[in-house]
Amino acid sequence: MMSKRRIDWAIYAAFIVLIMLVPLIMDSFWLNRLAKYLVFGMLGIAVALSWGYAGILNLGQGLFFGAGAYMLAMSLKLASSTSLQQGSDKPVPDFMLWNAEPGAKTELCCINKASFLWLPFQSQWFGVAMGLILPVAIAFVLGSIVFRKRIAGVFVSIITLALVLLVRLVMIDAQPVTNGFNGLTDLGWFKLGGFEFDPYVVPTYYLIAVSLSVVLIAARLLVETRAGVILQAIRDDQNRARYLGFDVPAYQTFFFAVSALIAGFAGMLYVIVSEFASPTFMDLSFSITMVVWAAVGGRASILGACIGAILINMISATVSETEGFAEAWKAIIGLIFVLVVLYMPRGIAGLAHDLIDRFITRRPSTPAPAVRVNDPSSQPAE
Amino acid sequence: MAQAALTIDGLSVDFEGFKAVNGVSMIVEDGELRVLLGANGAGKTTLMDLISGKTKSTGGRVFVHDTEITNWEEHKIARAGIGRKFQIPSVFKELTVRRNLEVASCKNPGVFANLGFGFSAKAKIDEVLELIGLTEEAGQVAAYLSHGQTQWLELGLLITQDPKIILLDEPTAGMTQAETHKTSLIVNNLKGRHTIIVVEHDMAFVREIAERITVLHLGQVLAEGSVAEIENDPKVRAAYLGSKGIT
Repeated sequence: MMSKRRIDWAIYAAFIVLIMLVPLIMDSFWLNRLAKYLVFGMLGIAVALSWGYAGILNLGQGLFFGAGAYMLAMSLKLASSTSLQQGSDKPVPDFMLWNAEPGAKTELCCINKASFLWLPFQSQWFGVAMGLILPVAIAFVLGSIVFRKRIAGVFVSIITLALVLLVRLVMIDAQPVTNGFNGLTDLGWFKLGGFEFDPYVVPTYYLIAVSLSVVLIAARLLVETRAGVILQAIRDDQNRARYLGFDVPAYQTFFFAVSALIAGFAGMLYVIVSEFASPTFMDLSFSITMVVWAAVGGRASILGACIGAILINMISATVSETEGFAEAWKAIIGLIFVLVVLYMPRGIAGLAHDLIDRFITRRPSTPAPAVRVNDPSSQPAE
Repeated sequence: MAQAALTIDGLSVDFEGFKAVNGVSMIVEDGELRVLLGANGAGKTTLMDLISGKTKSTGGRVFVHDTEITNWEEHKIARAGIGRKFQIPSVFKELTVRRNLEVASCKNPGVFANLGFGFSAKAKIDEVLELIGLTEEAGQVAAYLSHGQTQWLELGLLITQDPKIILLDEPTAGMTQAETHKTSLIVNNLKGRHTIIVVEHDMAFVREIAERITVLHLGQVLAEGSVAEIENDPKVRAAYLGSKGIT
């Protein structure tokens, strides 16, 4: 039991070392791509936490991702050179100027009715703070209502699904402040102590890789706390937990909010490496894709879901660019999902655990070398 | 005279005109083991639902010692000292047996208070594992337990939770004779340490554990007394047991 847990942590360590070493062998184009996939890996973690550990299948995780993305994108938009047109020293997003009514004052405070909302985003750190606070606040309010009312199972999925679509509509409709369908593009670079994170340089990759490692370890530790164990108990039998004296909705809301926090953080990082934020983040298909990543990787495993996301995106990028597969790719990914759900309900992580179990029972005295057992899960970054 | 652990005063519930429990009053003393008898639909399980907060009552009051707990939220009633075992055994299936008990041992209900690692009740849990006979299965996932073992594990959850009052809803449902006997040993072991209320149909089991029996009929208390008194009560015979007595 103990040694199994140690192997688990060894695999986490191997994964982290691996993503740290990747820049040695990859060019900057692929490094930028991989950085995006690592961000998706973080989304996999968020899904595993709410679906695998809390038993809450959120089909609107894109809402939190999008909230984080837009908050930082607003700040980076104002920091972009495209917002300083016409020789002004006060930033105004270009799309607001294009759509401004004749004679409107070309300042952020009053170029249109809602543009004042952008004022505090002139500070990058306000954007960062909001990118974390907004997803958590939404999750907290939503969770408090839904879980207090004891809505569970597929009904939570339907509510989250409807909500993400609703917000997507509102975002597109609020064109004067959000640039609607086009989203926020031509963003400036994220700055940290004078350093500018050009999405195609190695330090930016490390910003993502380190963030992912921290989230990975924190999430794993979180599910090992007493609260994490109680959460899993609640997932297994809500009523039993309730009659043992636990305030079930408080636990569900807390972990739902943590999952939202991680998704919001991922959204911000995605904006840094991709230089845009768009309503497509809140497309239903994107939220469902996240669930597929977690299912393939193993929703009951934090690292499994993370690797699942990275792996599927790596394969997807390679295969969909191969001629002949470009169109068929979506069908293939659908097929993989169906097969995994039918024959490998615990995903890649479940497979890896079975291998480890077999390895331990065969040679009980010697601790298993991490590299050996890591084989099945280390493929994505090679 | 012993103190009242649980006082029920005129408790009623009205399901759109149908009174499943209608003005039930009873006092269960500290450390007592009380058996609730009654035909199907007599209101036994509903009475437990009312006490534990699963169903909200429409009349009457419930007290644990001197605290009124009428219509509190379930987890608050649990924290006030009432533990409950369900008719259909419910445990945390994907956690190991030990983990199940660890969760039950957690004295602090809050999320933030539980952001630390490790449960501290190892000695207590080992003792409970011994009592419910699952020491060897401690590392096993609860989903793999047999039906009887699952029932015992749920009893173990209650023992670990250590409430003042334990409500047991048909703890021997679906058990073999040997399993039923073992369950009666576990329940007898709890006598005196906890106040226990049992709903049960299995008369062999009732004889093994019962001190006092309350008979419910159509949502009301029909009779109360020792096994012998109940067996010889003509009202009970007429309403529930038939003319042959308890067999």
